[in-house]
Amino acid sequence: MIWLTWRQFRTQALVAGAALAVLAAYLLVLGGQIRHGYATDVIGCAPEDCTISRRLFAGRFEAPVAIVSMLVIAAPGLIGAFWGAPLVARELETKTDRLVWNQSITRRRWLAVKLVTLGLAAVAVTGLLSLLLTWSASRYDQYVGGRFAAANFGARGVVPLGYAAFAFVLGVVVGLVLRRTVASMAIVIGLYAVLQIVVPLAIRAHIMPPVTTTVALNADTLAHANGFGLNSTSARIMGYTLPGSWSTDSVNQVFNADGTPFTAEQNRSCMTGEPAKDFDCLGTRNLHFQYTYQPGSRYWPFQWLELSAYSVLAAALSVFGFWWIRRRVS
Amino acid sequence: MTTVIQTQELSKRYGRRTALADCTLAVPAGRIVGLVGPNGAGKSTLLALTCGLISPSEGRITVLGSPPAADAAQLARVGFVAQDAPVYAGLSVADHLRLGARLNPGWDDGLARRRVERLGLDPAQKAGRLSGGQRAQLALTLAAAKRGELLILDEPVASLDPIARRAFLYDLLDFVGELGVTVVLSSHLLGDLTQVCDHLIVLARGRVQVAGDVADLLAVHHRIDGGTGALPPGSRVVHTDRGGPAVVYSPEPIAGAERTDLEDVGMAYMMAAEAAR
Repeated sequence: MIWLTWRQFRTQALVAGAALAVLAAYLLVLGGQIRHGYATDVIGCAPEDCTISRRLFAGRFEAPVAIVSMLVIAAPGLIGAFWGAPLVARELETKTDRLVWNQSITRRRWLAVKLVTLGLAAVAVTGLLSLLLTWSASRYDQYVGGRFAAANFGARGVVPLGYAAFAFVLGVVVGLVLRRTVASMAIVIGLYAVLQIVVPLAIRAHIMPPVTTTVALNADTLAHANGFGLNSTSARIMGYTLPGSWSTDSVNQVFNADGTPFTAEQNRSCMTGEPAKDFDCLGTRNLHFQYTYQPGSRYWPFQWLELSAYSVLAAALSVFGFWWIRRRVS
Repeated sequence: MTTVIQTQELSKRYGRRTALADCTLAVPAGRIVGLVGPNGAGKSTLLALTCGLISPSEGRITVLGSPPAADAAQLARVGFVAQDAPVYAGLSVADHLRLGARLNPGWDDGLARRRVERLGLDPAQKAGRLSGGQRAQLALTLAAAKRGELLILDEPVASLDPIARRAFLYDLLDFVGELGVTVVLSSHLLGDLTQVCDHLIVLARGRVQVAGDVADLLAVHHRIDGGTGALPPGSRVVHTDRGGPAVVYSPEPIAGAERTDLEDVGMAYMMAAEAAR
């Protein structure tokens, strides 16, 4: 049965192997470039132009890392569509189920061997990609610090393994139920894309209750924010992120020490026209804001929780598949 | 007499459509069984139930004493060639034999190789490039070389031209003698089956119309030309062709009746079922 599984899978394996080899080679090159850039532009920069050279480092690798991350997130969806969906649907379409399910092997056993062998291959391919990218982008991630960002979180660490197992089994089961290869492929890609949008945007942040603390506004906190806005009734700090953590809101209102809103009026004495001086002045005003976030120490718990959730989904779908193939097919 | 297939009030429905109704049969061992009926009569449904590809809506079926496809051991005892003899288009003839060898503990590799050689199939040829007849032969080889006790062929010659059809059927006859298995083969053409089978089941409109050994069927059916007069008790007219001869069932001999042949008997039952529609 393993021979037959391999024989039928050979072409897909070669295509996937070639794609994997190309991407792996690129990731190795990219990893080398990032390491070199990190050593020369971030660590070894001349003190007078460190700010610019570090910003250039981040800017130079932003696009390549983002593109490769998207590819690694997309890989499980493609595996689900091209390996999973045809697995049973193609047999039903060409009626070869009538040939193979009448050999001396039960169809549950047939499905079990296929699911386990190709499922492991799917997990291995995605795992290898994730490992390479995690290594390749590690210096960049460390410097930029956005590891909770949707595109980064799903393409690093252990979660891609869960995506691969889930998407593969989803493909198999949708093909088994729909009995049509092309329609199943489309549905698998659609469902996987929806999950990859909904989970990071609406679900992941609520898996553990976030932590809220009061943060003092000073030059350091301003350096970790994208901007600061003022009007006559309130002031806001925008895009503040404690390094390594995951900020759950992007705008935070700034208050005086007594809890009253800080306003443009109160800031007037700090306005000199030189931004650096103004921010230093602002930092001495004893201001604070509420910051709600997921601490950086939760990165790995989040990774393992999401891996577990997708693994449980994959297992549940498999159980359903074994039931369906015995009861409902043909 | 041992039976290989035993069904009791077997029915299969797809939604509201009844494909097979109330089918009670006992197929004896060692026969070449012809299953005949018009298109849509339920032949494929009955055969798919027999090999366990589908499960019945109602009733019971046992094949060689067990429920069909109950486990790997039961699957090993029944060889099946589905309609249109599906094979893997991308796999070569040799790959198919290897598939058979890997998936069947009782695989008879010598038999399979001899047969492929005798049929002149190129082992390196992709199965998708074989002719319809060659594909049917490959599928039959695969089903036979697992050395089961029952071989089921669903419309094995439907897609073949008349010459390939004859060749396939006569080859099958030889082959079956060598294997010593019970064979069930279906066709919508009675002519295909009368050449080879010694047990006939006529299926029409989802029901079994008549079933029995060919010799027994011929003994109790008679052909009467030119109007049926007084018939002996216990007899009945199966079907009368408009103005033509009548086929009559009667366990007793009928004076003036002629011998009939299998083609007439089968056709009479199919026509009668059609007329009752």
